[in-house]
Amino acid sequence: MFYVQLMDIAKLVQKTLTPNEKCIQAIECARILDGKRTLRYAAIVINKQEHGVFIFTALRVPCLQSSDLVLESVIPIDGSMRCSAEAPSQQTELRLSLRSPIINVLIEMPKSDPSTLFLAEIKKAKDVYSQVPAFGEPAAIFPWLEKYKRQSTDFNQSSGENPFAEDIFDPLKHMSLDGTNMHVVDTESSRQTTWFQDDMSSLSSSYEHLKPAQKSRSRDSLDKILGGDEDYTDSMETLQWSLGISSGNELPILGKTISSREKIVKKFLTDRELEFTDQHSFRIYCGTWNVNGQSPPDSLHKWMVVDAEPPDIYVVGFQELDLSKEAFIFTDSPKEVEWQKAVKAALHPKAKYLKVKSIRLVGIMLIVYIQAKHKGFIKFIDSDSVPTGIMGIMGNKGGVSVRFTLHNTSLCFVTSHLAAHQDEYERRNQDYKDIMSKTKFKDFSPPLEISEHDIVFWIGDLNYRIDLPIDTVKSYIKKGAHKKLILEDQLYRQLQANSEIFRGFEEGFPNFDPTYKFDSGTDNYDSSEKNRVPAYCDRILWRGPGVKQLRYDSHPQLKISDHKPVSSLFDVGIRVLDDKRFKRVYEDIMKKLDRLENDHLPQIKIDNTELIFKDVKFVEPQVQVVTVANVGQIPVEFEFINKLDDQTYCRPWLKATPCKSIIEAGVCCEVQIEVYVDKSTAAKLNSGEEKLEDILVLHLTNGKDSFITVSGNYMTSSFGSSIEALIQMHGPIREVPVAELIEIEQPGSLSRVDITKDGGRLYMVPKEIWKMVDFLHKYAMNKDELFQQPGRNSEIQFIRDCLDTGRPEHIPDSLSVHSVAEAFLMFLESLPQPVIPYEFYTKCLSTSNNLLLSKQLVTSLPGCHKNTFLYICAFLRELLKHSDKNGLDIKFLCSFFGEVMLRPQTPLFTTASAKEAVVKERRSKLREEDAKKAAFMYHFLSNEIEL
Amino acid sequence: MAREYDHLFKLLIIGDSGVGKSSLLLRFADNVFSGTYITTIGVDFKIRTIEVNGERVKLQIWDTAGQERFRTITSTYYRGTHGVLVVYDVCSGESFANVQRWLHEIDQNCDVVNRILVGNKDDDPDRKVVLTQDAQRFAERMQIQLFETSAKENKNVEEMFKAITRQVLETKKKQLREATQKNSDATIQLRENSAKKKRKCC
Repeated sequence: MFYVQLMDIAKLVQKTLTPNEKCIQAIECARILDGKRTLRYAAIVINKQEHGVFIFTALRVPCLQSSDLVLESVIPIDGSMRCSAEAPSQQTELRLSLRSPIINVLIEMPKSDPSTLFLAEIKKAKDVYSQVPAFGEPAAIFPWLEKYKRQSTDFNQSSGENPFAEDIFDPLKHMSLDGTNMHVVDTESSRQTTWFQDDMSSLSSSYEHLKPAQKSRSRDSLDKILGGDEDYTDSMETLQWSLGISSGNELPILGKTISSREKIVKKFLTDRELEFTDQHSFRIYCGTWNVNGQSPPDSLHKWMVVDAEPPDIYVVGFQELDLSKEAFIFTDSPKEVEWQKAVKAALHPKAKYLKVKSIRLVGIMLIVYIQAKHKGFIKFIDSDSVPTGIMGIMGNKGGVSVRFTLHNTSLCFVTSHLAAHQDEYERRNQDYKDIMSKTKFKDFSPPLEISEHDIVFWIGDLNYRIDLPIDTVKSYIKKGAHKKLILEDQLYRQLQANSEIFRGFEEGFPNFDPTYKFDSGTDNYDSSEKNRVPAYCDRILWRGPGVKQLRYDSHPQLKISDHKPVSSLFDVGIRVLDDKRFKRVYEDIMKKLDRLENDHLPQIKIDNTELIFKDVKFVEPQVQVVTVANVGQIPVEFEFINKLDDQTYCRPWLKATPCKSIIEAGVCCEVQIEVYVDKSTAAKLNSGEEKLEDILVLHLTNGKDSFITVSGNYMTSSFGSSIEALIQMHGPIREVPVAELIEIEQPGSLSRVDITKDGGRLYMVPKEIWKMVDFLHKYAMNKDELFQQPGRNSEIQFIRDCLDTGRPEHIPDSLSVHSVAEAFLMFLESLPQPVIPYEFYTKCLSTSNNLLLSKQLVTSLPGCHKNTFLYICAFLRELLKHSDKNGLDIKFLCSFFGEVMLRPQTPLFTTASAKEAVVKERRSKLREEDAKKAAFMYHFLSNEIEL
Repeated sequence: MAREYDHLFKLLIIGDSGVGKSSLLLRFADNVFSGTYITTIGVDFKIRTIEVNGERVKLQIWDTAGQERFRTITSTYYRGTHGVLVVYDVCSGESFANVQRWLHEIDQNCDVVNRILVGNKDDDPDRKVVLTQDAQRFAERMQIQLFETSAKENKNVEEMFKAITRQVLETKKKQLREATQKNSDATIQLRENSAKKKRKCC
């Protein structure tokens, strides 16, 4: 076993962090990936209140320095992170699954104290986060973690520009390693213990998970325990997620972020709700009873069945259900079982009901049933409880709530037991405010509150009293003057005054006697020493549109408690979704949004996508302008991109300026497309090996690609033609038919039979060289700075045309010698094979220090190359004879022409920077080579060599 | 519920120049049709979110230039594609004859991909030259589903896109099932391994 707890790891991790961040614990563990376990270190890092789990791989074991650790994964411990731990009882390891929206990590660690500590730290961190007030806002991303995320190897593997990267199938992501399959692991037969499992959606829900057994029995599965005829699978909560598209005003989420688009869809749907919903009337029964800790009587029918027609929904609230001390301590209550059973038995016999949810806080309990036929239309069931009793935390007073969405209407039911005593109505008001503000339905993010529901029913022992002397009250009761009583009721007065208490709530007129306080078992008001004033403690209120109260009664026949039960029947308008119309509206909204998204894609128009360059000549650039107009609604970023496996975005003779840029919406950008054939590209175009044809791909970031086709014809030139071809041409190159040009450019064209037969018809050297040398010989012997001053472009182009067309036959003496000199050099540099052919290059360098060997080498050159070489050398020696006038010295000419005539066959550099890199690397070697080239040349310029 | 879509797929439309690839896309994504012909010089895409079997699928649909001279460049856009629409013009025998070449093009550039055959411009019986039964026979031989559509009259366009999306979705589900199967095998193996290990330790 490699599990060793190294205290030092935490220190090493600390060294990789910034001073603001602290590694609070680090532990050795095994990460399970694709079924394999490999060594990792897990660390918890804190920055202020925010925690993250870092997973490191080790470059060597044991790790001795921080550089041995490589960050693999970073998981922020935030609202979206979920974790679960399990400890299979047969194994010595415990397994921890950490899941963020981006990544899943499954690690194993030994069942040891450090591991337990590690788990506790994670849990604590999670709780800290839950308490941060901004909780519920999914936007919380820990900015300090971003840099680490980018460093981590997991991140880098999955990143990239592929818009579908997120969509790549990741089996681990889809395997349920946590919560969802936990209950399976939890069964007896698998003999495993779930340490903790946590959807982390809130502090209180994580607390619930710590005591799953107690909670679940007291709340949900009572019917099952009682052996009821309802199958557990009928429980509504399990159904809610199987529903399709939600249409309600709210969407519960489980730790996931709602995209902005989703929010817009929601808003649009809410705005257009009337288009796809109809109002249907549902009958809702509400009943509330303070039962004073008693067990239920034989039958609750008199209270719960008030009409011949069965209600669609039953909402039954109890207070003081269990007054035993045990009820405060244990979550189980035998009284609950009894009352649940009694309520179930008293449901309207004409319909079949399913329990939606029941929730109990000590003695306050709310049970909600719905007719089975509505099962498919109820969703997002949630509940919450708020204690307001002793110290504001005990559950003897407080409120419990159940909410759900029926069809398209959200409903919330609250039952509460507010503070007692005649004069304590301010406390009651405060209890109301606390329940209103502290009730949070945490399946939703942000958690949903009572006030956010379409319709709210609030029932219970609200404990408001009548501010009249007891005798007056009792005399009014005798007279049946309920109106006079209610006028002095503390709650009624507040409702009338439109105070902040129960603002917006309505209540029907209680045309019945006060329901408090009776001597138990009788219809007599309190006869004890306290002699309490009778009051309308038990009330039923509602808030929201479309609610019509049908009945509001008390039921004095039920005498077991010191309160009489109260009931009310309502017709409630529920917005029912019309599937067909909803689908139409939904699709319409989706289409609108898609359209919007499409409209906001980068859009451009290019005025010309087919550029034709006519009669492109050597070293004569041609430019055409393409206008790229941003016709979209957002700025676009364009760039010419490489196609296929090319190294550059275009051929070397082509250039686009700018080749990348940003264009604001509604603005145009002019892109210059230039074709320029120079010495490096002329040869292939001359020989027909390459054509002036290319396609530019103009790519928009996050958008489309446009193709710009470039084509043209190249005017063949003696520049870039081979010596072999040139000595076969008698006329100027333009007069040679293209087919023949291609033929004479073929390697070995000189050995063709017909040529050798008329051997005399080959020139000794290319006539173009002769023409230029002849000119220089005539006019340049005494000129300063020859080969050093640049020529004029226009004159060089004129010389090119003169040589290529033979018009005029000779280079006019009006031209500058420097132009001719530059053209001459350019001519030599454009030769596809240098004067000393590539294959002789290395040999030349190695023989450069030996006159005899150099001479032998030149002798072995192909005839035309040898002739050209000797011809140029003779001309240069001639120049040197006039060095007193032209200032040329042998050293300069040797190194200068060494470069021109001796060229290594270099790989075609694709970019300037690539060339630079190679040149840099070879600089010293090049210097050495340059010296050798000059030395080689020196043999032939210093003496007239007889070969 | 929380995500704006359950799946994101990339579809590619290929076929000879002028068969109506861009029109199909415009009809499907923006529900518009323009009679004027603008040849596509490049590749463009639009998105559309649809619902298939209760799942929300976001489609990113790429429209390519059909001209021969762009064939080599457009082949680079096949990468990462989930589904390909091969379009011909029912009024052009040549465009139908070239379908074979386009299918070959797919084989050359994609590993696993769903395909669908689309005979567009099916709105004028007088001009129709590629008979439905001929196309159907060919489609069956190539094991590819055939749809005859008209972007102009909005005929079968929605159905055709839904059909290819359904195919892609099924393929993804199948891969998912296989991978999950593999994974659970691996988990079992892991358990066995660790059990063995333990025995050794003791």
